[in-house]
Amino acid sequence: MTVYKYFIKVALKNKGVILSYTFIFFILSIINGSTNVQRETSFMEAKLNIGIVDNSSSEISNSLVDYLGKKNNIISTKPDEKYIKEQIFLQTADAVIIIPEDFEERVINKESAIQLYNDNRNIGSHQVQNQINKFISFANATYENGEFDLSNVNSALDEGIKVDLIKTDNNINQKVNTWFKFYFNFTSYIILAIYISVIGFVMTDFTDEQVENRRKISSIRFLKFNREMYLGQLTIASIITVIFILGSIVLKGKYIGEVHFTKYVVNTVIFSFAALCLVFLINNITNNKFIISGVSTVLSLGTSFISGVMVPQEFLGEKVLTIAKFFPTYYFVKINEMEIHSFLDVKYEIFMQLLFAFAFLLMGLYISRARQRV
Amino acid sequence: MKNLFRNCMYQEKNLYRDKTFVFWSLIYPLIMAIFFYTAFNGIMNIELEKIDIGIGAENPIGFILEEIELLNVHKISEDKANEKLENEEIQGFIDNDLDLLVLKSGVNQTVIKEILDQIKQIGKLNVPIENFDFTVDYIQSTNQRADAIIIIFYALIAMVSTYGIFPGIETVSLIQANLTNVGKRINITPLKKKDFLLAGVIVSLTLNLLSNVVLLIFVKYLLKIELFTEIKYSTLFITIGNLFGVALGILIGSSNKQSINVKTLLGITITLVLSFFSGMMSPDIKILLDRKLPMIGKLNPISIITDNLYRINLLENTQYAMKGIMILGVYCIILILVSYGFLRRKTYDSI
Repeated sequence: MTVYKYFIKVALKNKGVILSYTFIFFILSIINGSTNVQRETSFMEAKLNIGIVDNSSSEISNSLVDYLGKKNNIISTKPDEKYIKEQIFLQTADAVIIIPEDFEERVINKESAIQLYNDNRNIGSHQVQNQINKFISFANATYENGEFDLSNVNSALDEGIKVDLIKTDNNINQKVNTWFKFYFNFTSYIILAIYISVIGFVMTDFTDEQVENRRKISSIRFLKFNREMYLGQLTIASIITVIFILGSIVLKGKYIGEVHFTKYVVNTVIFSFAALCLVFLINNITNNKFIISGVSTVLSLGTSFISGVMVPQEFLGEKVLTIAKFFPTYYFVKINEMEIHSFLDVKYEIFMQLLFAFAFLLMGLYISRARQRV
Repeated sequence: MKNLFRNCMYQEKNLYRDKTFVFWSLIYPLIMAIFFYTAFNGIMNIELEKIDIGIGAENPIGFILEEIELLNVHKISEDKANEKLENEEIQGFIDNDLDLLVLKSGVNQTVIKEILDQIKQIGKLNVPIENFDFTVDYIQSTNQRADAIIIIFYALIAMVSTYGIFPGIETVSLIQANLTNVGKRINITPLKKKDFLLAGVIVSLTLNLLSNVVLLIFVKYLLKIELFTEIKYSTLFITIGNLFGVALGILIGSSNKQSINVKTLLGITITLVLSFFSGMMSPDIKILLDRKLPMIGKLNPISIITDNLYRINLLENTQYAMKGIMILGVYCIILILVSYGFLRRKTYDSI
């Protein structure tokens, strides 16, 4: 097993690539996973992020701020237009409001009383506008003898209708499922990038002309050499894939019962196989390290962008998706996005990934045969 | 002067023939821009979408709901409500008792709830109906487009502006006798390394700036995305980004004896990670870091360029520009001084 041993040894020399990708991936997954993933049992109002600058500090403005605070998350802001506009631009705030000093007077005179910054294409910011207008209209409706009846306003605003969630027959926890979807979709990018660069780099060392010549005069049979080399590739590929599957268990292990975990695992294993066959093809086309690092970045990022890893498939154009269908990543993402009852629901997508794997293998074999004849 | 010109010419030819440089500086950015465009085009042009709700035929407030601009009201029978909710054809169903049925919690569902709440709340307030005046708009609003996704293009430009890193690595390898044959030859000629390096810097800057211009033209005229409205500061940031890249390239090239391939890979990795943190793969990462670890964004050179580019061009905000330029300037000086430390007075007993 000399070849196998050295294959693994050379591969581990490239641990920098594996570690840097893995490190960034897990940091992101941990940050992304810090949000609440408890199963939804009752309706929760969506809270928006709003910033408030209160220059009035009157009884009515305080009451308005309290009301908005109950309905939304108040984030810190500054009384600086440039800063506020940047918050809206970056979507860290859905809306920012400025309450002027003469707020109370303006309310009584029914003039515009609040300065609001928002993106009016954001439906959430319309909700904030509704809340403000409602509060002020209610306050004005109770205005009598120079006073607002704010306690009446507040108790009226606490009133609400009943909201029920419909009962669905599947057992999936949607919130944690979203996390798993994101995690495994992103895994496809990382797996492809690491496979191409690590296995590609090792293969360039093995197909180096001098090494090749030495192998040719050695006693080892070509078949055995190849077998051990492919076994090495399979080992490295399995280790990488297993790291990412285990990663999901370490991060969200207690929720795997609430999602279709076997679907994700089986899908990832099949995708890894297709990716490995793609690497086989690339290695047969070139053994130039420079080209391999280029292909690794462009192909992994490119297929991820067009197949819906970075942005959901529904936002991608028809033409883009047509191109994406020529890569296994598209089918991988599609399975992750689907809610399935059994593997029969996704047999077509699984078949397509395997078909790609065999197509890559055959093309690789063809090129390698053609090369040997020269 | 003549020497400098001659050195520049040779190095320019040398770089032009170098596939690594042509690919990473010229072709790769274009490929990335196309990817970004295909992926994010759909998100960049979002419009306000109305909310689809279902009501029963006998709903007592149907006529009020139909007046509300944000809502699309569909009359459906109650037994079809579940099916339509599950297929997300409607986002809420209001039955005749004004109870709301939804599939999941969300902003749209909350908007529907708020509207229904209001009807109940008006009753609860218990004041004569003529006291209410819902025709007054108490809000004066300023619209600011929220377009965080466009940051990825600025981050791409920021990253590419630092791609002077590759010619930087190349140039400095050419003057080191222990790395290249040209280096050996240059070391035994009376040619001054300093002049050769200066010529290298000039050529690197010029060529990379040119490739930046190609990318900008491509984005503006072929992809038709308007990124630049202000020229002065934008040019300044892209130029200083180039200088930073070349300086970093010289440091990477002079500080170790790895092969040029490894150095290039190091350059790609450093810039890719820095751009990643500045939001090139997803603006959420930048926003998250700004909230949790704001120092990273303030020190990361690519973030400084990205942030200033969008502030200057989309928010007409130049208040952080000078500070950014100064920090980048300091980086360049430090990088050049450290590289100088590696390069100066190198002699070899044998090679």
